[in-house]
Amino acid sequence: MSATTGVYAAEYLAVPAAQKVLFPGADHFVAMPLMLTDAQRDEIKRLSGVRQRSASQAVWRAEQQGVLLGWFIVDEVVGKHEFITYAAALSPQGAVMGIEVLVYRETYGSQIRGETWRKQFVGKRLQEPLILGKDVENISGATLSCKNVTTGVKRLLALQQVALRP
Amino acid sequence: MMPKSDAVPLRRMRPLLGTFVEIGLVERPAGTHCAERTFAAAYAAIAKVHDALSFHDPHSELTRLNASKGQPIRMSVHALRVLRLARAMTAATGGLFNCTVGGAMIARGRLPDHGGDSVLPVGDADDIEISATHACLRRPVRITVDGIAKGYAVDVAVSTLRAQGVESGWINAGGDVRAFGELVLPVLCVGQNGNAVRVELYDCSVASSEAGARADAGHDGEIIDMHSQQPVSGRWSVLSHHAWRADALTKVAALAGPAMRERLLSNLGGRCVVAEDVDSVRASAA
Repeated sequence: MSATTGVYAAEYLAVPAAQKVLFPGADHFVAMPLMLTDAQRDEIKRLSGVRQRSASQAVWRAEQQGVLLGWFIVDEVVGKHEFITYAAALSPQGAVMGIEVLVYRETYGSQIRGETWRKQFVGKRLQEPLILGKDVENISGATLSCKNVTTGVKRLLALQQVALRP
Repeated sequence: MMPKSDAVPLRRMRPLLGTFVEIGLVERPAGTHCAERTFAAAYAAIAKVHDALSFHDPHSELTRLNASKGQPIRMSVHALRVLRLARAMTAATGGLFNCTVGGAMIARGRLPDHGGDSVLPVGDADDIEISATHACLRRPVRITVDGIAKGYAVDVAVSTLRAQGVESGWINAGGDVRAFGELVLPVLCVGQNGNAVRVELYDCSVASSEAGARADAGHDGEIIDMHSQQPVSGRWSVLSHHAWRADALTKVAALAGPAMRERLLSNLGGRCVVAEDVDSVRASAA
């Protein structure tokens, strides 16, 4: 992470790690990038009430010895100002099995640097309290609603019905 | 013993409690699967508290209590504990924190009406009777623990992490933050107009509330003064050891007024680090 002005990005999981977390039993993830037709996007909007802005969607089949365990989908929604990237695991029957935030980005209007934060850990003894840097990542203020992820997942469930029949 | 050079905290974030909940572990538990089990246990603990105490969920334990028409309702250990804490805080603050304002919040359209008897807009601590296994409402009040449950969920998750062998870490539930173990966690308490106070949490919690016209439209950011029946506006951040207490005391900070605030919070085990009442904006570093 490099120094940025105003935008803070916390990276929680890369895609392969998130796949293992959400489908620990899977032995194979088959990439199935979707390119939705206009008719499919209209149908997703009709079913979920949420507009499918992008025609493309990153989707993987999670399999165990060839058997479909579910779908792993990477999606983006707008938080308060910036995109939040998350992954959803959907069962073949259309139930949400889990959600993990992959990258959380927000604008805080202050300079926050990830590297200095990280370096604080080098050479600290366990008996001493670790001091997590001068640059603050944790913010306490107005609570940010997660409703955009909730509606995003609703949209993905409709997308599954429209475009991901097993 | 020196930590490995790659001893970067392990973090996860999930949408829960209506916000984003980050859990950070300073030391990586042995093996990836162990870490995932640890995260899963902590998130499950948070979800359990949320499910039990949601006012919005028509099937939660709290909703059953609110619809009970004075009958005793069997409740889980966590639900009873939160009710005890909320009742005690209601009594200790003379109703500045008041967990019986559900009726008023329904009337204002801020909380859903799940039916039941005619509703009192507000009650007092004596309206809640709690035994070892049951709770009972003496009058037709509606209990809401929204002002305390998020913090409590953080505390329960910290206990869960410790029970899993995690010595140091933190949980940030949409700005209700608790750090535990050998860790100093800086947190920026953001006020309005760009004001901010930086605090360092060491075995401590901080919570913030924003209320009024400028509150996040996605949240039910309303705090009502029961004497004037009017909502107040502003932002308040409070430090305390436990997250439930910091969470509850933000409402006390909002309603206490500048003359009483510091002493009242000190008596109740909290310290106000941001106090911005909108009519006369003030931010003070502790």
